[in-house]
Amino acid sequence: MIEVCELTKRYGGAVAVDGLSFTVRPGRVTGFLGPNGAGKSTTMRVILGLDAPTAGWATVNGRPYQQLTRPLHRAGALLDAGAVNGGRTAHDHLLAIAASNGIGARRVAEVLGLVGLDSAAGRRVRGFSLGMKQRLGIAAALLGDPPVLLFDEPVNGLDPEGIHWIRGLLRSLAAEGRTIFVSSHLMSEMALTADQLIVIGRGRLVADAAVTEFVRQSSRHDVVVRSPRGGDLAGLLAGRGAEVTAEPDGGLAVTGLDAAAIGDLAREHGISVHELTPRHASLEEAYMEITNESVDYRADVPDYAGRAAR
Amino acid sequence: MTAVTVAVPTRARNVLTSEWIKLRSVRSTVLILLFAAVAAVGVGYLVAHAEANHWSAMTAAQKAAYDPVRDSFSGWGLAELAFGALGVLAISSEYTTGLIRTTFAGVPRRRAVLAAKTAVVGVITVLAGELIAFATFFAGQWAQSAHHLNVTLAHPGALRGVLAAGFYLAVTAWVGLGLGAIIRHTAGAISAMAGVVLLLPQIVSALPAPWDVRIGTYTLGLAAQQTIAQHPQAGYFSAGPSFLIVVAYAAAAIAAAAFVITRRDA
Repeated sequence: MIEVCELTKRYGGAVAVDGLSFTVRPGRVTGFLGPNGAGKSTTMRVILGLDAPTAGWATVNGRPYQQLTRPLHRAGALLDAGAVNGGRTAHDHLLAIAASNGIGARRVAEVLGLVGLDSAAGRRVRGFSLGMKQRLGIAAALLGDPPVLLFDEPVNGLDPEGIHWIRGLLRSLAAEGRTIFVSSHLMSEMALTADQLIVIGRGRLVADAAVTEFVRQSSRHDVVVRSPRGGDLAGLLAGRGAEVTAEPDGGLAVTGLDAAAIGDLAREHGISVHELTPRHASLEEAYMEITNESVDYRADVPDYAGRAAR
Repeated sequence: MTAVTVAVPTRARNVLTSEWIKLRSVRSTVLILLFAAVAAVGVGYLVAHAEANHWSAMTAAQKAAYDPVRDSFSGWGLAELAFGALGVLAISSEYTTGLIRTTFAGVPRRRAVLAAKTAVVGVITVLAGELIAFATFFAGQWAQSAHHLNVTLAHPGALRGVLAAGFYLAVTAWVGLGLGAIIRHTAGAISAMAGVVLLLPQIVSALPAPWDVRIGTYTLGLAAQQTIAQHPQAGYFSAGPSFLIVVAYAAAAIAAAAFVITRRDA
């Protein structure tokens, strides 16, 4: 279990994490989502005792990380797959990390096999692809067979086969009862892998919910109706059990009835309809929407798609 | 035979083992030591050879000041830089790659990591430094033997000078390690190390008298020279106090590193 409480981290004047609190529970994959610069990596570094929090605290299985003896047996982490000395072989890289916690060469060989790098064990890391480095970083995290695992953007730079592999690995590690905390800026990836989502933006908590709940709340399907007799139509739709909300531009957003049913209903009552558009918000869009206000740097993209439609 | 057993707690032994694996598993360690050996022995031999050839043309004063031990160590500057770079790289390579985070996640007690690096770098550089020092001494004496200017280790001050020269290389490595931990960038730390080891004594030597000597005797490079030379230069501390100054530089660099290492984010 990982607990983060009222965590704040400032670098000079810039606030990276701002009063963040959450709990990561064992037995499931918890996705840690947020746009780039939202404070995900900073939070992970504080959990691992690498960065000192400005305020608040974080614990791993109830204890501050710095107080753990032989911490690789308590928590493993992949922070940056590129954080290797290219001149060292994969085996020596892992052996040096393992030795610091009294872990032997047999376990090194074991984790190399676990991530499918046994044949590359004697090669210098300099020649590794990003995907192989990610696997090496995961092997390092697994050295102490820890009950808590943190992965910072583990699918970055992986090919589809590698992504599939990571997904399976994370799920099986969680099924063994471990606490799995995985950061990503890709909602689509987390929707497939995670059970629980913690979403942050600008260092603040935006959402903390089960993925199923998040999907139900966020990916609403509705129909936009425009009619000169909008008020009458709204009353009729409500009578059929639909939920109607007025859009700012005068249209009606209808949920609970599909476009065909709405059109038929309007025709039965002689109400003309000027627009009838089904809308599907994907999970990705829902995520964009909730994190929109919290994106630090955003490119203004001209609305070409919108203009072309008109 | 008596076996020397040193009781080291398990946790300390683990960190030492880890740091030893790191140092031995990169090529740069061996390459740097090889470069230092070739440069020190090679330049030392050539300079000693040339000096000895000048013997007949020297004035009486020059002959009196002739130091067959110090002349052998004329290539020491290159070895100092190489050993200093080895010390820098032992920690700066971890900071520049980000590996230091993995290291500190494995061993949250950062000063234990620094202590282990100091010990491992120290053992390697003292052994290699002494080995190179003796090789340099013998090569230098061989170069002077044609003119019968060579001395043996039994010559007063010779053994002390050779041992001090070897140990001085370990000191430059420790200074490099300390600066590497403080500066955390390879190029910057190597520049700073070169500044302390080579540039500072030269700048101070250029000061008007008596300040060149008064300050110079406290600089690392000039203090080290007094420990190697058969007779200290006029105005400088003798070998004993100079050795303490040399050691103080290493201690200060490591102590400063220990001070900042826990106070900064990794």
